[in-house]
Amino acid sequence: MADRYSFSLTTFSPSGKLVQIEYALNAVNQGVTALGIKATNGIVLATEKKSSSPLIDPPSLSKISLITPDIGMVYAGMGPDYRVLVDKARKVSHTGYKRVYNEYPPTRILVQDVARVVQEATQSGGVRPYGVSLLIAGWDEGIEPESEEATKGLSEEKTPSKTGGIHKGGPSLYQVDPSGSYYPWKATAIGKHATSAKTFLEKRYTEGLELEDAIHIALLTLKETIEGEMNGDTIEIGIVGPPADHLLGYEGVEGAQGPRFRKLTKEQIEDYLTNL
Amino acid sequence: MGSPFDINGGACVAMVGKDCVAIACDLRLGMQALTISNNFPKIFNYAPSTYLGLTGLATDVNTVSDLFRYKVNMYRLREERHIAPQTLANLVSSSLYEKRFGPFFVSPVIAGINQTTGKPFICGFDSIGCIDFAKDFIVSGTASEQLFGTCEGLWEPDLSPEDLFETISQALLAAVDRDALSGWGAHVYIIEKDKVTQRLLKGRED
Amino acid sequence: MDKLVAQYSRPQHQNESYSEQEQQDLTESLPPLSLKFSLPPVDNRASFLRAMTDDHSNPSCPIKLAHGTTTLAFRFQGGIIVCTDSRATAGNWIASQTVKKVIPVSRLSRGEDKPSNDPTPGLLGTMAGGAADCQYWLRYLSQQCTLHEIRHKRRITVAAASKILANLTYAYKGYGLSMGTMLCGVTPQEGPALYYIDSDGTRLPGNLFCVGSGQTFAYGVLDSNYRYDLSVEEALALGRRAILAAMHRDAYSGGFINLYHVKEEGWVHHGFDDMNPIFWKTKLEQGEFSNVTSEL
Repeated sequence: MADRYSFSLTTFSPSGKLVQIEYALNAVNQGVTALGIKATNGIVLATEKKSSSPLIDPPSLSKISLITPDIGMVYAGMGPDYRVLVDKARKVSHTGYKRVYNEYPPTRILVQDVARVVQEATQSGGVRPYGVSLLIAGWDEGIEPESEEATKGLSEEKTPSKTGGIHKGGPSLYQVDPSGSYYPWKATAIGKHATSAKTFLEKRYTEGLELEDAIHIALLTLKETIEGEMNGDTIEIGIVGPPADHLLGYEGVEGAQGPRFRKLTKEQIEDYLTNL
Repeated sequence: MGSPFDINGGACVAMVGKDCVAIACDLRLGMQALTISNNFPKIFNYAPSTYLGLTGLATDVNTVSDLFRYKVNMYRLREERHIAPQTLANLVSSSLYEKRFGPFFVSPVIAGINQTTGKPFICGFDSIGCIDFAKDFIVSGTASEQLFGTCEGLWEPDLSPEDLFETISQALLAAVDRDALSGWGAHVYIIEKDKVTQRLLKGRED
Repeated sequence: MDKLVAQYSRPQHQNESYSEQEQQDLTESLPPLSLKFSLPPVDNRASFLRAMTDDHSNPSCPIKLAHGTTTLAFRFQGGIIVCTDSRATAGNWIASQTVKKVIPVSRLSRGEDKPSNDPTPGLLGTMAGGAADCQYWLRYLSQQCTLHEIRHKRRITVAAASKILANLTYAYKGYGLSMGTMLCGVTPQEGPALYYIDSDGTRLPGNLFCVGSGQTFAYGVLDSNYRYDLSVEEALALGRRAILAAMHRDAYSGGFINLYHVKEEGWVHHGFDDMNPIFWKTKLEQGEFSNVTSEL
């Protein structure tokens, strides 16, 4: 079986395009909009949970996923492809990193590993490209020692020193496309209404945004593009914020830190919606 | 023939001081009784304040040091940062366990200072990667039993870099003078947060 | 009646004299030693002991003997030079760095082993292999040499002394004895005489011998610089230099250089000196041992 069709389905057109990838992007652009906004002290990922039937049981549907305790992911495009990528991302974060270094991968490393999986689908025999774009949000602890100036500055002027990346640490937000390319963003959107959502975000985004403001802007952006009703069942929000020690399931262990990535509950989302 | 760990001979020791660590090794390379070289250092540098000592079978000392040179270079290119001693320790552990059923005949020792926390770090391993975290000292090689004795006798907490140098040097020299397969000179590294001092010790030549 | 009985019977005390058998035992120069040691209660003692003690063919043998050593002796116009290292090892463990591997043999040489310019009469034996075997049998040899001196009113020749030892080791061949020794002496009959005897029963006369794990290194130096007409100073320096080379390259040799000069009047001790200062002096002043790094 494998040897009979073991040539890549993604082949160059005479004009130099890989049309299979363009078709995959078309699939993404028909998908439900998802967006991400990076704040100084965290990131928000948000999307609409669209159900084709009123009989569907909403809580069992989940589009935003935890990859590592500090990294989360959302998608636009084909749901089944996304779930495969979530599995592969979770697996590679362990085989390619945690089992080697006994620590979780920095966001950029995980993004590169996922992007490699996606790229390989554009060049391997017998497979089609993934029909999804991803938004990956994560927090890095950083390796630079906290300088005295930075700590003083943080307490007095509230200027954060952690602006993201492996060195300084802090939040980072990436988009991964079906081609395997990836981009870092301050704020972005993917899916059906990505263009209008991005225009909206360009207007509302400011430097030095706090996580609470970012969640607010995320909901306003979704409101612009949403087709159905907006409530705790139809909206999904994941945040990367301060360590959520209450999610550890235990306490009193020195040095243990809760996950920074968590999904907001239906009630929490509705609280934000009432304050909109 | 005896154990592969005892063919070439060699000794290594690491110690913690106050805001500093030290790592030292002898320089002998032998084939059983015959001394081949008096200039075979067993300490390798992988980041500005991260050092790895390897004793055991000399061919594996070379192979393993080169393997980690490759792995750490790849890490640095991929992550655009230097590897921390703790991360190297976990990398060494997982890499050695990969060879669980055909191990490298080496006993590694790591000494370094974590640049993020500024804290000293040492640890040792068996040949299949079990990590031995220690707060005081780590020994390895054919003179390890002697080194346990000298270190237990000479080491004390919170030594200054100068005193740590004196302590680790005496501990190593005294130990290798009671081991037929180690000695013939030594290298000592004193690692501080942003300074590393390397010294050559002229030991007994028998 | 009582008088008659007393006249023809032996007095009581006459029974206290030694029997013929007892007298022979006392005067026997080589007592049947094989009966005086307790031996393993097995059929084939030799092969059993070999299996227990030969760590070359059986590395996990239960009886480990110390082997590492370098000893040398050579004849020259001024007598014989004897030189040894002083290291004792048990496996890789250095058990001692101050072993005296030159053992004076014969009654007259007994006494203080102090450095002195006055020659001490007697023979010298060197020790390589099992320390206990060498010490025990050289002391036994010393005993026999003394008895020889008493019986014959003259000192034993080196040839005769070495033969006593060789006959002994041959008698115990295969029982696990481990010794490689050189007997040195200068006698009126022989002049300077040097014999090599080992636990296989070998006995060889010769000009120059090196024995022990470091023997090859010592031979290397000795062979390229040895001449029979060496002056005493040259000969002493050559002996010292050959042992130094062996201590440097052989892991199981080291410690102190023990140097002797055997002359017609007896032997003279020329020091028991730490090799390390001598090594660095030789390296820095003579430019030898350039393989050793002295700078980082």
